[in-house]
Amino acid sequence: MARIAQALLKRLGGMAIVLALVVTVVFIIVRVTPGDPAAVMLGSDATPEDIAQLRTRLGLDAPLLMQYGQFVLGILQGDLGQSIFLNQPVTTALAARAEPTFFLTLFSILIAVAIALPVGILSAVRRGTIFDQIVVTLTMVAASVPSFWLGLILIQVFAVGQGWFPASGYGGPGTSFIERLHHLVLPAVALGIVNSALITRFTRAAMLDVLGDDYVRTARAKGAGEARVILKHALKNALIPIITVIGLSVAMLVAGAVVTETVFGLPGVGNLVVSAVLRRDYPVIQGALLVVAAIYVLINFIVDMLYILVDPRVRQ
Amino acid sequence: MKKSAFVLMTLAALAGTSSLALAQAGAQANEGVLTVATIGEPPTLDVMQTPTDIVLTIDQHIFETLYTYDAQWKSVPLLAAGMPTLSEDGLTYKIPLREGVTFHDGSAFDAKDVTASLKRWMAINSKGKQVAGIVESLTEDGDHAVVIKLKSRYAPLLATLSQASVILPSEKIADTLTEFVGTGPYALKERKPDQYIQLVRFDDYKSPEGEISNYAGKREAIAKEIRFVPVPDANTRVEGLISGQFDYADSLPVSAYERVEGSGNAKPVIFKDAGWASMNMNMKEGLLVKKELRHAVQAALNPNDMMLAAFSDDRFFSVDGSIFPEGSFWHTDAGVERYGEGDPEAAAKLLEEAGYDGTPLRLMTSRQYEFHYKIGEVAKAYLEAAGFKVDLQVVDWATLTTRRADPKEWDIFITHSNFPGDPTTINTITDTYPGWYVSDQKAKAVAAYMDATTDEAKKAAWEGIQTVIYDDAPLYKVGNFNAVSGLANGVEGYEPTYWPHFWNVSPKK
Repeated sequence: MARIAQALLKRLGGMAIVLALVVTVVFIIVRVTPGDPAAVMLGSDATPEDIAQLRTRLGLDAPLLMQYGQFVLGILQGDLGQSIFLNQPVTTALAARAEPTFFLTLFSILIAVAIALPVGILSAVRRGTIFDQIVVTLTMVAASVPSFWLGLILIQVFAVGQGWFPASGYGGPGTSFIERLHHLVLPAVALGIVNSALITRFTRAAMLDVLGDDYVRTARAKGAGEARVILKHALKNALIPIITVIGLSVAMLVAGAVVTETVFGLPGVGNLVVSAVLRRDYPVIQGALLVVAAIYVLINFIVDMLYILVDPRVRQ
Repeated sequence: MKKSAFVLMTLAALAGTSSLALAQAGAQANEGVLTVATIGEPPTLDVMQTPTDIVLTIDQHIFETLYTYDAQWKSVPLLAAGMPTLSEDGLTYKIPLREGVTFHDGSAFDAKDVTASLKRWMAINSKGKQVAGIVESLTEDGDHAVVIKLKSRYAPLLATLSQASVILPSEKIADTLTEFVGTGPYALKERKPDQYIQLVRFDDYKSPEGEISNYAGKREAIAKEIRFVPVPDANTRVEGLISGQFDYADSLPVSAYERVEGSGNAKPVIFKDAGWASMNMNMKEGLLVKKELRHAVQAALNPNDMMLAAFSDDRFFSVDGSIFPEGSFWHTDAGVERYGEGDPEAAAKLLEEAGYDGTPLRLMTSRQYEFHYKIGEVAKAYLEAAGFKVDLQVVDWATLTTRRADPKEWDIFITHSNFPGDPTTINTITDTYPGWYVSDQKAKAVAAYMDATTDEAKKAAWEGIQTVIYDDAPLYKVGNFNAVSGLANGVEGYEPTYWPHFWNVSPKK
């Protein structure tokens, strides 16, 4: 138990270091990237004097070290700063966009897992059959397809062709929660299919590793049914790499839904980051990337904790 | 097993909502909602601070100016009751104001609102600041007139009072606007950034009278509601229009024209001469400080080939040396002899005469506007054929706007503009605009324009300015481009304008 607590503390310390690095690196990157938020905000008619005035008003002409100090101090107080363009706190802007990103990530991973686990297991069990070969080929194709392209195809077929789903957006004024979720179906399917490819391949490989092991042969010899052998004995032992890849996929979805959110016009965190980068809205870029990094680190932490749950050897 | 069942149940529930959402969409259309897909989220709704196209497009439904533009881009009354009375010396403008107009908050519009709003505009808007330097006093003359006294004659005054100089209730004026209250046909109800901007019909709206002409004339808020939805991806705007989700989709790629036309659900709309592309030259530092080399650039380029590469079909562009397009009051051929068809040999001769030493010409462009990039590619080929060594620098738009402010960084940048209501509000004419066009003959020509008080005198002075621009060559006009947008079948009364507007437009039934 003391060992687990020690490992936990070590992990938390590591997380703090990673986040501190992210804060610094992001701060430096956004400021060394050419492009001035004041110039973007004022449009092409702006004179250099107008731009200089706005920079002063926004505090962009303060020394970099002072800006960095204010940023870090703000983070420690739970304040990620004020968006230059949205004229609202970054935390408010992020909170307003958390819902679509959260449900998009959730549905995508549910879809991916729902496809990947059964298909991956079946493909491993029927290794070398036509089914297996088809799965291997299709997962290779799905992994190579960009999610935005798949998104556009889904829009053409199911939004334009069939009219079943909206092509874009997250609903207008007064839209109910269920209607908002309805807007997420096509983007979630696009992301889910692409992510299912990787999870399927990992599931198949992990299952192939364990299916030939002695304890599986022993279980069969003892007369256990095939379903019990595969799901209880083999799958349980193959879970560690599968959990790892699912965890990585969730983390990548949080950060990687950027393009899909843009294609589907979803007002999520990814879309906010893209707009913020184009507008050079420094506080939003910094705040959003910090939150995404924190989620990424947290998911990795949860995955590590899950190892302890599923594998007694890790506990020891 | 439990996980799979949960997934299936979730998907089934989501699929079941499709009919619900479609039924609601139909109900909204019957209630008269216009859904407009725009190119993105406006940075702000404070048009005085940020007068960009997307802000102007949305704000014109909420706010109004004293004057607005008719089909010839001449200023005509909007909140003003008539054209101003001008003193004999051309320095004092008395502007009568319409009576009975109210703001969305119910307060009455009067002279106090005008002076307070124009003072804010002169303090924070770039054009307003230019006007502020000329204005001696701005006063109320009773409740329904204002008087503007100038230090010197200023011909573009009415044009500048026709755009971004919106009138707000004096009580709501602040450095940073928190309430967006105007006199326009629609009032702001809700803004959810990156999701929608919801405008609702202003029932007490008092419309100007007169025949509809561009932004002038009668305005009627037919649709009960207008929703501006940001859809940054152009293909998604196209598909959303065709699927019936949007009633209007702004700024479509020209390649989508046939798809929209053939869809049977929507039609493409072309707005002719929406703007013009230009290559602006650095006259302050670097290679092109030498006028002879700028003339060599003029001689080398072929505008038709550049526009064809950028817009792929002559339905979407026109090539015209006049800075203003045909149909505009300001269209003139004065000085356009230098607008050539690309003569690399003549350009090479000019290069030799100028003693060009092979220093690379830094041509800066952006892929944010794909046509800028394509123009840059063709320009590079023509300039190299003439003997220039070209360093084509492709950067994102934010980087370009920063770099162009530094005269050490570039020689030419590619940009585009709309056709403003007054020729002297063209950016390049300003001494401080990147390119830093300062010349004695320009100053004289602009002074003659500023002094003009009649339309005829202004036109003659503008011909002088255009001639000087071609001789000084601060920019190379590439050509005029048309804007393509899409309108859903069943939407009626839409008239294409530079900043698309939706008063007088009937939604689908």
